[in-house]
Amino acid sequence: MSVRHTLLGLLAQKPRYGYELCAGFTALVGGKENWDVKPPQIYTTLARMAESGYVALKYGNGQKSKSEYIITPKGHEELMNWFRDSAVDEPQQDAFYLKLMLSLDLDEVDASRLIIIQRSALYQELHRITEQRQQLDPQAQLSQILLMDKAAMHLEADLRWLDMIESRLDEVKSQPAPKADLRPRGRPPSQKPKG
Amino acid sequence: MAVIEVEKLSKVYGSGEAQVTALDSVNLSIEQGQFVAVMGPSGCGKSTLLHLIGGLDRPTNGTVFIEGADISQMNDKTLTELRRRKMGFIFQFFNLIPVLDAIENTALPLILDGVKPENARARAKEWLARNKLAERGTHRPDELSGGQQQRVAISRAMVSEPIIVLADEPTGNLDSRSGDEIASTLRKVVSEWGRTVLMVTHDPRIAAYADRIIFLKDGRVVDDTLLNGNNGDNARQLKEKVEAL
Repeated sequence: MSVRHTLLGLLAQKPRYGYELCAGFTALVGGKENWDVKPPQIYTTLARMAESGYVALKYGNGQKSKSEYIITPKGHEELMNWFRDSAVDEPQQDAFYLKLMLSLDLDEVDASRLIIIQRSALYQELHRITEQRQQLDPQAQLSQILLMDKAAMHLEADLRWLDMIESRLDEVKSQPAPKADLRPRGRPPSQKPKG
Repeated sequence: MAVIEVEKLSKVYGSGEAQVTALDSVNLSIEQGQFVAVMGPSGCGKSTLLHLIGGLDRPTNGTVFIEGADISQMNDKTLTELRRRKMGFIFQFFNLIPVLDAIENTALPLILDGVKPENARARAKEWLARNKLAERGTHRPDELSGGQQQRVAISRAMVSEPIIVLADEPTGNLDSRSGDEIASTLRKVVSEWGRTVLMVTHDPRIAAYADRIIFLKDGRVVDDTLLNGNNGDNARQLKEKVEAL
């Protein structure tokens, strides 16, 4: 969702050509290594936003990259709403947690090995972030360094949690699995309707 | 050739019922020019491993090879010389001598090895300059920040031109910014100055500077992972691990 709002934000700064929006997005997120949004995705988003009335073509010349776009008053309102909304991640929706819980009741997957593999992958990612951060210039690219720091902090938190669950895995295994609520709803199939 | 090779390495402390197995038949191979981190929970044997590889302690069983030479067969004199010539050590609490200044601390290993004081001081100054401490040569440890002290320690470790640098929690006593600086310097020890570094750490951010992490638990290796290399290598490595599920 942030892609469309970022494009609106860029247009709110000034009208832009298609290629400017692609390049502007990539620059803002700190490069393709962080977030690789391909031009077709950007143009599709622009087309949908044009349909919704958030952006308009100032003039088109057949080529999307060389067409100039502007933001409409409706688009501006949508952008302001986005700024006013606070954005909080949903850490409870965690794919690894699901893997781990499922593995506890599956003989063919070992939960301890899953943890080891996940830890390994997190460290590889942390290493990549660290290397990327080293290439940045603190005098000119501080904002990108801070983004790297955010990524590193989240990875460190994930690693700490992994240590935590690893040390208590036996306790988790010894407790009963969460029970699914299987009570049937509505009329039982054998009953005839009244009247 | 592997610069460090460890075969069925074991260390047991105490005897009878009070016996503690710190390392349990560990096998490892470290190539020249690698930056390796060793991690694991408290008591997993990581410091023991470092001490055995550095010849600071003798194994109960198994062998340590440094550049192909079996150090467990060496007498104290030969081992001490090998340590002084081939290895540099960096510790958590810097271990600098309080009454000596930065140049004197850095030059010390060379003086002990019989190098002439003028030459020892010149080489010490070179290494301090490489670690951006040229203006701090005459300062004593209590006149230096934690990060600066550790950089003196790194200079001291490098001055005898070792092939291996062993670091035991080198950032444990530093704030995160100085810690990053030291980790960055250790990275340089490998990529610019061409040595091999083996570092024990419990800090993930610091470990992330390495090329490879070895995970220990209860005296055994539970995982050994390469951190860089192209995506193809990493993906294959992960796939092999998953298949071992």
